[in-house]
Amino acid sequence: MAEESQVTSARRWRWGFAVRLLFAILVGAVFLYAGITKVSAPMKFASDISNYQILPWSLGVRFAFYLPWLEIAVGLALIFQRLFLGALALAIALMLVFLGATIWARLQGINIACGCFGTASSNLTLTWHLVIDIGLFVALLGLALAQKGRRASDR
Amino acid sequence: MRAQLFRQVLLLLGLAFLPAIGQALYFRGDPAWQAPPADSGQVSLAQATSWGATALWIDARPDAEFARGHVPGAMQLNEDDWNGLLPQVLAAWSPQRKLVVYCSRKSCNASHAVAERLRHEDSLTNVYVLAGGWEEWQKNHK
Repeated sequence: MAEESQVTSARRWRWGFAVRLLFAILVGAVFLYAGITKVSAPMKFASDISNYQILPWSLGVRFAFYLPWLEIAVGLALIFQRLFLGALALAIALMLVFLGATIWARLQGINIACGCFGTASSNLTLTWHLVIDIGLFVALLGLALAQKGRRASDR
Repeated sequence: MRAQLFRQVLLLLGLAFLPAIGQALYFRGDPAWQAPPADSGQVSLAQATSWGATALWIDARPDAEFARGHVPGAMQLNEDDWNGLLPQVLAAWSPQRKLVVYCSRKSCNASHAVAERLRHEDSLTNVYVLAGGWEEWQKNHK
């Protein structure tokens, strides 16, 4: 009986691990893709940031050089499960910033392309951008909860 | 756990900083550091108005904003209903006409996106983006 329950819990653990790994790779791949599409054209990305009318150009252009590399670093860390906790925290923080900026733009009535995937997203409306952001945010929260549960069970 | 998290966050922030600094140094002579690059496909309101009936005004804003007011004679074409609105624009277009696409204001992007699609997907020529958008029009037509 005890042996059977051990087998069941080991199987459950393996399934949980596989699902968590799959989600981490998927979310990491989205971050990686978002970073790569923007990294080659920082000035175009600076224009996209400027369209949100939140940051002055001089500050936005500095972010345009930094943000794609941060997305790449976070994406790789999530995919390869290295510095995972830090990557998860940064990804959640980034998503909160992106969501905040999108909602702010919507409230201001600014009709802009999001710029989240460089030129590949020039046809992406702000509403679609919001849907993608919320989906990613929910996936990241799920990963964070799974991570917390795993740590609790390890103790 | 908190210390580990903090360490990892700092490490990732630092890792991203290094290539960003390298890239910024590579672009250090770019004038766009000081101001946004000028758009060669943009046209001023004065110039677009001087084209008279040759200009075909395209409103790239959402339906609700178009309903509140638009440039007289403007046709609506936005990405929310691209396939539904495009035929009327193509029917009104001729090689002699100049398409002037506008959105809400100077910094909005919808006019650029619409102009780009008209140029590349529909191979239209003489497609311009109105500098300052609807805001600029209103300022000059009070």
